[in-house]
Amino acid sequence: MDKLQEINKEAAINASNALSKLIDRQVSVGICKAEIKKVAELSPLIDIEEIVAGIYLPVKGAVIGAALLIFPKETAFTLSDLLVRREPGTTRKLTELDKSALKETGNIICGTYFAVLANTLQIKLIEQVPNFSFDMFGAIITQIITEFAQNAEEALVIELEFLFKPATLKGYLLLLLNVDEFRSIVGGAL
Amino acid sequence: MNIEVKMGDIAVAQPPSNLAASAVGSCLIIIFYDPGPLIGAMAHAMLSTHSLAAKHQLKDTKYIDPAVDEMIERMLASGAKKGNLEARLVGGANMFPALKSDIGKNNVLSAKKKLEEEGIRLIGECVGGSIGRSVEFSTTTGVVTVKTKF
Repeated sequence: MDKLQEINKEAAINASNALSKLIDRQVSVGICKAEIKKVAELSPLIDIEEIVAGIYLPVKGAVIGAALLIFPKETAFTLSDLLVRREPGTTRKLTELDKSALKETGNIICGTYFAVLANTLQIKLIEQVPNFSFDMFGAIITQIITEFAQNAEEALVIELEFLFKPATLKGYLLLLLNVDEFRSIVGGAL
Repeated sequence: MNIEVKMGDIAVAQPPSNLAASAVGSCLIIIFYDPGPLIGAMAHAMLSTHSLAAKHQLKDTKYIDPAVDEMIERMLASGAKKGNLEARLVGGANMFPALKSDIGKNNVLSAKKKLEEEGIRLIGECVGGSIGRSVEFSTTTGVVTVKTKF
């Protein structure tokens, strides 16, 4: 598990650097955790009724899983301004272009994260096409938990928090991986 | 006072207590009410029983059928009459419109089938689509209030 924490940290830094390059703003990593939990007992990262942009990427390959990138409403608006080169503070409603740009951001961040995890552990992780939702955090996360719970009750849960500077905006990456499959491949790393 | 019914839970209440569930996506909120003694019940179920029940305990109220059985049992124990029960359903969405997911849809179908088997009248529903819902149920008036982000 210690080895995994190290890999997680490295992957998190790479993912935050990728995000930083994309929006040309400094992005650092806040919370960075990897632990095994029952999926039904996942504690919410933020208030369940808070409106967020959620980008969901099912994960296939050696390990089945789910990646969810969460940007609270104001962060999503600010990111949209930066991604589609609008004046800061312009976006008050997400257009199809904004949604597409946010989905691509999800692709890049998850892709960078998975590249480190997969290369270090010598496993194959394939992210699927990103799916987008702009709604209450609880409604989004419970569907992903339910999708995942159909195959496994426990998950290797990876939680990352991205901090945007100088503003106090945050983003989150939640990764659920099938813990039994993961164990059978990496053995000693868990 | 609102009793918050979390995922996989069931609650039975009478005035002045009301029942609520926040930020519901593909899950299904099942509400039962006996307007005589003003007894209400709410379940927050995650999945239909198809193909999955064998892996889990029989009384796992995360699943529609065991949740409905448990609601009926607890309402009757509180003084409700089965013949008076009225049902309403909220939720069962697919939060990602581009994702092929039948979880919400199957939850709704499964609940309707179970209600029919039990002879409980379905008098209202706010289900499907790709929208999150928060729901409150007043045990005094029997009114269900559904809130969305729009």
